[in-house]
Amino acid sequence: MNRLLKIEWLKLKNYRPFWILMGMYSVFSLSICFGGMAFLTWLKNQGADFNGFNPTMLPMYDFPDIWQNLAWLTSLFKIILAFIVIMSINNEINFRIIRQNVIDGFEKKDWLISKLLLNGAIAGYAVLLVFIGGMITGMIYGHPDSRTSMFVNTHFLVAFFFDVFIFLCFAMLLIVATRKGALLIIGLLMYTVAFEPFLAFFLYDFPRMADEFRQIADFLPVQSLRNLVPFPLKRYGLMEVSDVIPIKAIIIAFGWLVFNIGMTNWVLKRRDL
Amino acid sequence: MEILATEKLTKKYKRLTALNELDFSIQKGMVFGLLGPNGSGKTTTLGMLLNVIQPTSGIYRWFGKSPTPESRRQIGAILEIPCFLPYLTAVQNLKIIAEIKQCSYQAIDKTLQTVGLYERRDDPFKTYSLGMKQRLAIGAALLSDPEVLIFDEPTNGLDPKGIVEIRELIIEIAQTGKTIILASHLLDEVQKVCSDFMVLRKGEKLFQGKVEDALLNQKTIEVGSPDLAILKNALARFDGIQELTTTDDQCILKTNNEVTTTQIGQFLLEQNIPVNHLVKKEGSLEKEFLNILSEHE
Repeated sequence: MNRLLKIEWLKLKNYRPFWILMGMYSVFSLSICFGGMAFLTWLKNQGADFNGFNPTMLPMYDFPDIWQNLAWLTSLFKIILAFIVIMSINNEINFRIIRQNVIDGFEKKDWLISKLLLNGAIAGYAVLLVFIGGMITGMIYGHPDSRTSMFVNTHFLVAFFFDVFIFLCFAMLLIVATRKGALLIIGLLMYTVAFEPFLAFFLYDFPRMADEFRQIADFLPVQSLRNLVPFPLKRYGLMEVSDVIPIKAIIIAFGWLVFNIGMTNWVLKRRDL
Repeated sequence: MEILATEKLTKKYKRLTALNELDFSIQKGMVFGLLGPNGSGKTTTLGMLLNVIQPTSGIYRWFGKSPTPESRRQIGAILEIPCFLPYLTAVQNLKIIAEIKQCSYQAIDKTLQTVGLYERRDDPFKTYSLGMKQRLAIGAALLSDPEVLIFDEPTNGLDPKGIVEIRELIIEIAQTGKTIILASHLLDEVQKVCSDFMVLRKGEKLFQGKVEDALLNQKTIEVGSPDLAILKNALARFDGIQELTTTDDQCILKTNNEVTTTQIGQFLLEQNIPVNHLVKKEGSLEKEFLNILSEHE
């Protein structure tokens, strides 16, 4: 296990785009954590008031809600992490590194496991950033009384880990299956930030549609992972927001996990390198 | 000791049979040349032996056992082109390979010296010339000090100097007693390096044997004299000549192996026949190769 992760580290640590993308993600993730209050202050200065309510009074940073808020928001940027997975695997396919690794004594399975470990490490890093950002901003901006429930609802961090990890496995499957890195990056970006959210929005909210039909949205590869950390900000419109992870979302996400890894394994096994 | 054996190894693509029921074996210490025109199945064969191409049917054994990742770690191989991450240096690339082969980093410097890249060890792979890339690939194959080395077209695309360098490197490695499999369509190369060879064409094995034996059939002696008719008559009485042909100005003899130019010179001197040309010609694998191919037309 250690050896496989070390091999991934040797492959990536001198690859500049890896650090650039990691840096970009870190900046985005932390600015979500720290920038929320700046945004609310900006709203206030613009003269916004929510029915006479000062925007900076919004308890966004109170424990324990902060975990769900930050996890949901930073999840928007996980596509950057998927680019790392796509680019590194794309290199290994183009430069025939997978093949040479097998010749040198890897099994295809070893290669797959090393990639899963990498995905796990990246997802772990993403969670760590939210955890650190949440602890700091929660202490600064959160109501002091909320600190007693600091570690309540941290299950959203676990959900966020699987949200990122399964998404990275989805990217891994796509690049292994298509072998077209540049096209895939554009395609996945369009799909993830534009096409699927629009489709999901349409399915969930379009009037006069059968409920069975609406359910399709729950099964979409990206939306299903987003459902692991349900949209939390409605609670500030005084609406009910659940702070448990829906069982249905867990089951569907697990299905995608098995599918992504299983299909990658199947494609690798079948293909001559 | 048997290093490698295949039984009815076959690879079929949709319509094309890339390799058809190949049986062959390689003994320890052989330098084995795999010959054949482009597209004859050389790389397909090696790819299957290295587990990167799935055989359609048939089996192979390394070191007398079914192949495992462990057996592959005792083989150093390059298939077609050198495969490294271009943005990593020689040392960084070899570290990855050392981890996969589970051998120590200490071998890296020594290997880089062997292949003459030590000075450039910290430059990215993408800055290397083709010859240097090829040498690094050979270095990577040598890294774990394996029993067996497989080189697929190691001099492909190199300039004449590069070809000589790689060839000398392979001869050096062969002298250490390692078993080497060398796939090539350059017959001259195989003749200079190999002890045994096999000829493939369109996925069929046409021939397997020793290079020495193949060349033996090819040895000829050329004799020239001002009067060719007298010379020819005289040589007809000499024992040990299997075949005698004449060209415009000389006789070409195919002889038993024991016959030397000295004996022929002596004999003609005794017969008082003037000789102005007496040369022993070594055979070439190229001729033998073309013979083998034409026999199977």
